[in-house]
Amino acid sequence: MIRIDKTRCIGCGQCQSACDYDAIDIIDGIAVANDNCTSCALCPSACPVDAIEMELADAAKDESARGILVVAQADGNAVLDVSLALCQKAQELSRKSGAPVFAALLGPLRNEVQRLIGHGADIVLLCQNDALANEDDGLYADTLCAMIDEYRPDIVLFGATRFGRSIAPRMAARLQTGLTADCTELSLDEKSGLLLQTRPAFGGNLMATIACPHARPQMATVRPGVFPTGEWDRARTGQFLSFDMPRDAQPLYDILSKAQQPPALSIADADVIVTAGRGIGTQKNMQLVNRFARIIGAQVAITRPLADAGWGESHQQIGQTGHTVAPRLLIALGVSGAIQHLAGMGGAQTVIAVNTDPNAPIFSVADYAVHGDCVALLQHLLA
Amino acid sequence: MNLIVCVKQVPSTTDVRMDPVTHTIVRDARQSVLNPFDRFAVELAVQLKERHGGTVTTLSMGIPATEGLLRDTIARGADRAVLLTDRRFAGADTLATSYTLSLGVQAIEKYDCILCGAMAVDGDTAQIGPELAEQLHIPHATNVQSIDEVGADSLTVTQQVDGGTRRLRINRPCVLTVVRDIVMVRMPSIRGIQRSMAAEVRIWGADDINADVNRIGLTGSPTQVIETYVPKRQKQTVDLCGSIETLSKSLMDMIEKNGGGAHDTH
Amino acid sequence: MQALIQPFSHEYDAYLRDESRRIGKADSISFPQSEADIQAVLAACYQDTVPVTVQGARTGLTGAASPNGGHVMSLGRMDQVLGCRYDGDTFYLTVQPGVPLCELRKMISSRRFDTTGWTDASLDALTQLSRAKEQFFPPDPTETTASIGGMVACNASGARSYKYKATRGYIHALTLILMDGRKLHVQRGKHTATGRKLTLWPDGGDPIHVELPAYQMPKTKNTSAYYAADDMDAIDLIIGSDGTLGVISEIELSLLPLPAFVHGVLCLFVSKDTAVSFVENLRRSDEGIAAMEYFDVHALNVLRMQRKTHAAFSSLPPLAPWIHAAIYVELHGNDESDILARLNTIGDTLSAVGGDADHTWVARNASDLDKLLFFRHAVPESVNLLIDARKQKDPDITKLGSDMAVPNEHLRHIVDYYADSVTAHGLQSATWGHIGDNHLHVNILPNDMAQYDAGKKLFLEFAKTVSSLGGSVSAEHGVGKLKADFLPIMYTTEQLRQMKSIKAQFDPKGLLGMGNMFETSREVDAV
Repeated sequence: MIRIDKTRCIGCGQCQSACDYDAIDIIDGIAVANDNCTSCALCPSACPVDAIEMELADAAKDESARGILVVAQADGNAVLDVSLALCQKAQELSRKSGAPVFAALLGPLRNEVQRLIGHGADIVLLCQNDALANEDDGLYADTLCAMIDEYRPDIVLFGATRFGRSIAPRMAARLQTGLTADCTELSLDEKSGLLLQTRPAFGGNLMATIACPHARPQMATVRPGVFPTGEWDRARTGQFLSFDMPRDAQPLYDILSKAQQPPALSIADADVIVTAGRGIGTQKNMQLVNRFARIIGAQVAITRPLADAGWGESHQQIGQTGHTVAPRLLIALGVSGAIQHLAGMGGAQTVIAVNTDPNAPIFSVADYAVHGDCVALLQHLLA
Repeated sequence: MNLIVCVKQVPSTTDVRMDPVTHTIVRDARQSVLNPFDRFAVELAVQLKERHGGTVTTLSMGIPATEGLLRDTIARGADRAVLLTDRRFAGADTLATSYTLSLGVQAIEKYDCILCGAMAVDGDTAQIGPELAEQLHIPHATNVQSIDEVGADSLTVTQQVDGGTRRLRINRPCVLTVVRDIVMVRMPSIRGIQRSMAAEVRIWGADDINADVNRIGLTGSPTQVIETYVPKRQKQTVDLCGSIETLSKSLMDMIEKNGGGAHDTH
Repeated sequence: MQALIQPFSHEYDAYLRDESRRIGKADSISFPQSEADIQAVLAACYQDTVPVTVQGARTGLTGAASPNGGHVMSLGRMDQVLGCRYDGDTFYLTVQPGVPLCELRKMISSRRFDTTGWTDASLDALTQLSRAKEQFFPPDPTETTASIGGMVACNASGARSYKYKATRGYIHALTLILMDGRKLHVQRGKHTATGRKLTLWPDGGDPIHVELPAYQMPKTKNTSAYYAADDMDAIDLIIGSDGTLGVISEIELSLLPLPAFVHGVLCLFVSKDTAVSFVENLRRSDEGIAAMEYFDVHALNVLRMQRKTHAAFSSLPPLAPWIHAAIYVELHGNDESDILARLNTIGDTLSAVGGDADHTWVARNASDLDKLLFFRHAVPESVNLLIDARKQKDPDITKLGSDMAVPNEHLRHIVDYYADSVTAHGLQSATWGHIGDNHLHVNILPNDMAQYDAGKKLFLEFAKTVSSLGGSVSAEHGVGKLKADFLPIMYTTEQLRQMKSIKAQFDPKGLLGMGNMFETSREVDAV
């Protein structure tokens, strides 16, 4: 629930207009929450005098729950970076309490145990069943839920991969507990010891910090790439325990076939984009741009003049007549930044622009302005 | 094949900003629309119905005004719509929402498949589909990009998974969450709109679906939002000059720092 | 001054062109950032008798911004919104000419302006604006990167002009810098003609006495030649003057409350005759209709063809083979039940003319409206792609587009006339445009230079026919350089002389926008 400090409130009504639920009345010049309040937490940030606070319900938490379980995921034979990063993060979170960090490793992955320990796991729970070689939501959920039943971790963390985001909610519903999706920050509340899970909402325009005060375990999926993987500490020791897949574990479906190549992405959905503009000089240099993009895992986009000149496909074009894009990162190479183009790339979160012209309009929207020749830069990088 | 499509009302824009003077959150648009991902789910259901027969029911939990958006799904080819609305549903997290939806589904009658959009653009959680499936004790598959075969008691689908795609045979009934562009969304015709205006949207409250009041709304939600804030946008442009070597290094550092290189396919 | 006026070099080549793709010539260029800069540059050019061509965003289609030698003045860097005013009824914004329309729209809808240097009164008005119902600036040329100055200079209009009329209606006051550097401020309602006589008082120097032309404006959308009417507002003479009278340095424009509901309906027809009947019927009950846009079978065929090969167009819904014409109708309203009633009216009208309410695509949300907008833009875009492909073979080929309008009663005749004439000349065409205003863009798609020349000749024929029907040879793009040869068809020699005498009053040396509206006898190189 929200708590409104009556001595601070000036009755300005900002909270009222921020509220989607008509949950605030101004009575005698003071804001008062009514029954409509859903604790959505939008109003505290709307208050200009910091008179509103979110009140955390009393945490009558399950004292028997202890430790952090990281659900490791592997790509073929190797554990994913996000899982290693979570082991390290879990170790950091539990340093104070000294509670153990468990890592759940499912499938024939005996060789990866040491790596998980080297990144921060204290106890690796290994379920070596061949049936788990393929990621099946049913078998995994059944096994992991049995593990949680037995080891009673306080916190369970998953990588926010496609599989992590499929299996975690299934488990949360079975365990009747809370799950926070795609977190970008994790910490422990000093006072209550609760896991504070921060995640973007509204397409990254708003950050929300979420807690799960009563139900256990506290569960979160964590966005890959936000925590460092860290070094493999080969001297670190830990133990591994075998865990049997429950006999009644059931697959959810039959896997008929798999295809490795990721589905083609459109620049409109791309996470990282490299845009080539006239400053790349010649059509031949598009090869440099394409190679560079491949290396950093980006989609290639082009400006209108390049599309007109046929240096790329029209579906790669950003701007008024092309796509509107909203990548996390956009790297503009030799793009001067015609207004149409700037309009089309307005959704980009971070913009790095490389250009020789200090007055190029693209610099006005760039977070980083690299003053240099993009072709020379590419040649150097790809040499 | 009888299909249920779960849909959600979301704000028309996810634009949130900090007022530079008052430092308070300002959200510009208050118009509500159907979650963009759900449009594809509705269209897919209508196309499956056109090909294989059956019915399409759209289902939403939301405020009473959601009725208009449900009516629009009828204009687009759904046969009927159900709105779960009750003051007591407000403040639900994904667990309470999926519980409420599961009761709605069970009250609808026999169904073969439930479709959901892969995620909602306001919450971005993508959790409702799998949680709903678990609450109903039926299988699910997320990020489905095509429905390849409709069998007598199963479906063959292709889903996007980490690093690629895979084909699954999944038993009916099941929950599928579908990606954008799984089908091309058509627009309703004037005739469709006229039909939707005459249609009835069923409106059910907590008591109509025999909900356990401890499992719905704020009370039934294990998670709590304790703070929201607008992330700081780096406005200041950082200028970088120097030799090609220096620039190359800073460029790669910046790319790494901002999440390039560690490419995440989702 | 030396810094303001720079010699022309290849890096400025883009400033020789506008969207007409005419390539001009220039000796120098400037990018003024203030009224004082404009005055200084003009005074210098005036003294040295250097012609000046003014540019906004160079999105025009008539070559008006493409220079005929001399100096190019680009106003792209004068892109500030200077203030806001509220008179209790209407909101006004004062803007510099280089503000792009798309940016202005963004600022208005988000109510976010750079208020540096605003007066307290402006800031107060902005507060009112933030609290008021959302506002908008109605003129809507297809190219939204157009500058406001350019839109005023050619009195731009667009699809929604059917309801909201052209830019003219939303311009309340202007500051014009004359060729000699003097400043002239005109405000609607304050500076008006007596009969056809107009006296204007620039800052300093002699007044300008203008004898307005005696002609009547056609009863259609029109941007051909200077506006003239009894007791008219002086501002209306400046609007649509194609950069020939002075340089617009400041504009006060007015806003309207945004309609709460915008619905788009694409109606699909088996023939153009049914489509025309639909328009004739529907506009009798036209309340709430903001736009009526036509696409003929050839335009749809080009789109069908490009849809198969270009990924960008494949996201468009397919068009069934029986569809031979399409009309986009846009409905604006403040009340949902009203707008539903209008949808029913469209359905009934379709049934009455042999169409079908099932064969409609209705857009009621932003996502569907975007899709219909994409469809409407994809038609000209796909034609451009086709022409670009032909240019590979012959670089001189360009698309020829007409911009003529006729009064309501001639709609069916003119639609048939265009289609029959193009066929009779063995040319390929694609026709689309503002059918609600009987204003269609016939586009000739030449395969070779012979067809290109034949197309140009055919357009002169069109100009004669349209003029004889009481129409306009340039309904929304302005005259510029490309359509200057149409004016002698629409106007008599005496009327042209009257226009030229107006220009002489404002610009005695004939330096501004040389070649715009009036074909110049002066050779570019002789300057």
